[in-house]
Amino acid sequence: MSDIELSDIVRNLLGGAAWTLGLSLTAFVLGGLAGLAVLFARIARNPLPRRLAQAYIEVFQGTPLLMQLFIIFFGSSLIGLEIPPWLAAALGLTLFTSAYLGEIWRGCVEAIPKGQWEASASLAMSHVEQMRHVILPQALRIAIAPTVGFSVQVVKGTAVTSIIGFVELTKTGSMLANATFQPFLVFGLVALGYFALCYPLSAYSRMLERKIHGSRAH
Amino acid sequence: MALVRIEALHKHFGSNHVLRGIDLDIEEGQVIALIGRSGSGKSTLLRTINGLESFDDGSIEVDGEHIRPQGTDLRALRMKVGMIFQQFNLFPHLTAGQNVMLATRIVRKMGDDAARDLAKSMLLKVGLQEKFDAYPDQLSGGQQQRVAIARALAMQPRVLLCDEITSALDPELVNEVLAVVKNLAAEGMTLIMVTHEMRFAREVGDKLVFMYQGRIHESGDPQTLFANPQTPELAGFIGSIN
Ligand SMILES: Nc1ncnc2c1ncn2[C@@H]1O[C@H](COP(=O)(O)OP(=O)(O)OP(=O)(O)O)[C@@H](O)[C@H]1O
Ligand SMILES: [Mg+2]
Repeated sequence: MSDIELSDIVRNLLGGAAWTLGLSLTAFVLGGLAGLAVLFARIARNPLPRRLAQAYIEVFQGTPLLMQLFIIFFGSSLIGLEIPPWLAAALGLTLFTSAYLGEIWRGCVEAIPKGQWEASASLAMSHVEQMRHVILPQALRIAIAPTVGFSVQVVKGTAVTSIIGFVELTKTGSMLANATFQPFLVFGLVALGYFALCYPLSAYSRMLERKIHGSRAH
Repeated sequence: MALVRIEALHKHFGSNHVLRGIDLDIEEGQVIALIGRSGSGKSTLLRTINGLESFDDGSIEVDGEHIRPQGTDLRALRMKVGMIFQQFNLFPHLTAGQNVMLATRIVRKMGDDAARDLAKSMLLKVGLQEKFDAYPDQLSGGQQQRVAIARALAMQPRVLLCDEITSALDPELVNEVLAVVKNLAAEGMTLIMVTHEMRFAREVGDKLVFMYQGRIHESGDPQTLFANPQTPELAGFIGSIN
């Protein structure tokens, strides 16, 4: 039995949780910005960006996040670029997030009825004007709930970065479990930590969902 | 010189030859009632006139704007051609007033005040001046369609295309919309209307165009054609409606 106190365990786990939160926020914000680029490429009228974006999405949706991280982390050292685990983690999760958000948002844009495009086109609006004034404002409204919902996946996805050595909540937990020989207690607390991060997000997403279904379109 | 001139127009959807050589001249101020069975190509013809639908062969000219199978200046064309749809297609996130103002501001580049004044006068014209700040889902179907008319009129089009604009309305709301259209016709607006309202077509239309299997099968003065159809197809169609 080690002499690590429960309060030490909790304090260390809170430190790890802060990194989990930081990584999640980074990936979500940067991934959201990159996701906008993916969205616009995906719905472009020119087929070239459309195909590229589709391939991009398929790569990130069709392979495990862990493999994406491995390839970024080990692949970069292979080409002589030593990037630290935190950077590989942030980069990997950002790309992962951008692919998913781009695809979620594309679905929202395509959910806007064809009549909205036709009516705005008939008023002589250009494609960009239609997007800016008619389509995106409506798509944004239906995008909020699934976007917040997806943020839960980002938080949980950060756990995978422990494998390339990024010391976030899960990695902190493994190290503590090894040191204390109390894996059940430690991982129970780790799980509680994830729940505390994710539950408010999923509850908020559900609330938004209900609000949108029960409300007017403005 | 006709305001709208359609010559030898052909359109396919895949292997479906939908428009099979349409020739039609429309004079300024004319009200055209386009009738025919479901699938005869009425909507498709209408939608080629503002470039919502492309075509394969032939030509369309609207007030000097040529529509070609390729490379049309759609913006210039659509400034001259307004369209009203069966499903209204108002922008649900904008108020009635904002719906009417939007394109005048961003396409016609009107200032905010001028656009607002114009929107108010257009809503007044369709009898909805007090609904400026109402959202579409706070309006009845008939009111929504009148806002859609005001929205199209605010762009000051030379021609207005109407595709079964009363078909989605409850029967008691049809007349308020038809009354607005009748006023427009009286003011000299050029109208091309696909309609199932035969009484309206007869009263307000200057020319009846009967489409049959992608062609103009018969056309002429509505009163005369209704009383005395020249082809069995039109006679059958009129019989099936009444
Ligand atoms: N977007 C499309 N893709 C493929 N086929 C189409 C499309 N739009 C119309 N068609 C076909 O073209 C033909 C003419 O359709 P159109 O909508 O012009 O007829 P319509 O006379 O307006 O009929 P309705 O009275 O039912 O509105 C039909 O056979 C229809 O199935
Ligand atoms: Mg039709």
